Amino acid sequence: MKKLLAALIVAVAAFAAIACDNESTDRITIDFWHMAPVGTAAYTPTKAIITAFNESQDTYFVKGTGFSFWDYWDKINIAISSRTAPDLGLSTLDDSVSRAEAGVLYNISDFLDADPDGLELDEFYDAALDFATYQNDLYALPFTATVRVLYYNLDMFEEVGLTVADVPTTWSELYDVAKQLDIVDGDGEIQRLGFDPSYGNATYHGWLWEAGLDFFDENLDPTLNTQAHIDVLQWMKDFNAEFTRNQLVAFGDANTLLGINPFAGERVAMMVETDGLYEIIQNANADFTFGVTTIPVPDDNGVRVNWGSGFSIELYDNGDNDTASKAGAWEFLKYMMSYDVQKEMSEVNGWIMAHKRAMSDLATETGDPILARLLVEVEYARDKVYVPYAPSWHGNDWQPYYNNFLSGEMTATEALAAARANYIQKQENYDATH
Amino acid sequence: MKRTITVRMMKKQENRAGYMFVFPWLFGLIVLGIFPILMSFYISFTNYDMISPMEWIGFENYRILFTNDSLFWKSLGNTVYHVAIAVPLSIFVGLALAFLLNNKVKGMSVYRTLFYLPNVVSVVAMTLLWMWLFQPNFGLVNAILDPLYDLFNIEPLGWYLDQDLSKITLILMGLWTSGGSMVIYLAQMQDIPTTLYESAEIDGAGWWAKTFHITLPLMTPSIYFNFIMGLIGGFQVFTMAYIMTNGGPSRSSYYYAYYLFDKMMADNAMGMASAMAWILLVIVLIVTVIALKLNKFVFYMGEDS
Repeated sequence: MKKLLAALIVAVAAFAAIACDNESTDRITIDFWHMAPVGTAAYTPTKAIITAFNESQDTYFVKGTGFSFWDYWDKINIAISSRTAPDLGLSTLDDSVSRAEAGVLYNISDFLDADPDGLELDEFYDAALDFATYQNDLYALPFTATVRVLYYNLDMFEEVGLTVADVPTTWSELYDVAKQLDIVDGDGEIQRLGFDPSYGNATYHGWLWEAGLDFFDENLDPTLNTQAHIDVLQWMKDFNAEFTRNQLVAFGDANTLLGINPFAGERVAMMVETDGLYEIIQNANADFTFGVTTIPVPDDNGVRVNWGSGFSIELYDNGDNDTASKAGAWEFLKYMMSYDVQKEMSEVNGWIMAHKRAMSDLATETGDPILARLLVEVEYARDKVYVPYAPSWHGNDWQPYYNNFLSGEMTATEALAAARANYIQKQENYDATH
Repeated sequence: MKRTITVRMMKKQENRAGYMFVFPWLFGLIVLGIFPILMSFYISFTNYDMISPMEWIGFENYRILFTNDSLFWKSLGNTVYHVAIAVPLSIFVGLALAFLLNNKVKGMSVYRTLFYLPNVVSVVAMTLLWMWLFQPNFGLVNAILDPLYDLFNIEPLGWYLDQDLSKITLILMGLWTSGGSMVIYLAQMQDIPTTLYESAEIDGAGWWAKTFHITLPLMTPSIYFNFIMGLIGGFQVFTMAYIMTNGGPSRSSYYYAYYLFDKMMADNAMGMASAMAWILLVIVLIVTVIALKLNKFVFYMGEDS
């Protein structure tokens, strides 16, 4: 019995020793949260990137923790709120200023003052850096860059006698080309749609930006009450006005039923989507020829712009004045933002990373024309503004009115007026409590 | 020396054992329950946004909700509508099922199991399934009703995509789990002494008389229990709307708990969300207290009237 007990204790001790990595015992542990949990394809490569850092020096030991994308946001927000955030983690770039304002992020400009060669800031887009700047200091770094482009199916183009030269660049060209690509069967059922301005990742605010308009003015007061706003919204609906609502709904429902992106499923000839669709098409081994290009702009005074949300990487200040961890987090941040790691992260996750040179070299090395074209559009990407009184202004707050308009329950004027009234009410209520 | 165990000592020992047994539950209640509940009460008087330090703002969250938040009233109205229809309907369906399954037919236990089965299916899976059934263009429900649509020359119903029908669709979907209450009704139904029915039969009572003068009166405790539980659960309706309709169309299925969730997750307004939670508690409390007045109509067998 005693022998058995002794063997058990030895086994438990050995297990504990293995579980607690020996490497970390005499080093400063740095916690890093990412979105590549165990079981995902990106887990092993992400772990390899972290391990490479741990093996490159013997002062710090980075402990990476992966959460699924869907769980990540609750975890990180609650951790920040309870001042138990990791030393370093990913978040959304567009609202990093709110965290800087709340005092939960370390000032990256301070690190750069002490270590000016630590980062190649020129390698990141100014627009992205601006989003991470609070009171002239940098509080986060752009980690990835999402871009929205127009995907077009070249096989469908050729089918109707069009070529790459016919890829639309303006709204009127978009309409003309799209109409040639529509297919409706004898029962009036849409079999293929050339384009729809409300499909995929095309958003009302994206079209507004192209028309030089926005949801909010520089003081973050809601606009939406001009004729130009109404016209853009009406244009979105009128684009496929020759179809009845039932036809469009049935077509949309059939797409949902298929459970595949309508462009990847070859049911839509052109569609605005993020760079993520490229990965979906690749993973699906799609056998059609396609290309990506700039989202067409209004014929007059159109602005070349696309909604380019992205992840930020941030150093969290939990108020414990842990200078050793802070220094370690900075070292790991530099490593994660370095040319090699950014390139590797792109290969691992299929993300477009923020490091310009790393991405352009990757596109050259792989000879990938789609990636190269996506990178061109990153330059014209713009993130949505963070509105404290309506953080979900483009989602929860806007979608009901937008859907009411699309379904015909409200006119463009009514939908915009109602949405604006809602924003104003939210603003009043926020101001009353802050 | 021989130790004498007194009744008092035994009581003490029993108490100690009792406390030890309830300790895990008490620990959970106090640490995981009471503290967050009290904390949420405090937070409801602050502008806590999960990141910035919270500031005391008094009754401002409550004032805003009652006087300057149109969605608060809209979501409350939707919820009251849901409770008003779903609760009596689910009692009716549960009772009807219990009556049907209280027969001595071959394989009855299989039927009972089948009707109870939806209660062990995940709500998410169930909702996704019903989404396809009620899908206006491809769904089975409209396919079955198609001859009726043709007969009356009417457009197929839009179900959860129609703002006038979305709440009703969700209520109909919810009836699928009536097997849960059916089990309770059935248990009580089978507890009714057969002698009562026998004497009624001798007196010439038929099925209706037996049902309305014996079965239903003796089942009032379980009906009452399901009514109270249905009221409490009905005010918290959320999951089906979240998955199936996203609160739409036109916020027609935007329930109170959904708005509370959005206040917390989309607007980061934890203070406001906590205030909503406390308002809901008070509403449920008032409704339950009123419902408890109905206790006088409940007949408990064996009790002196």
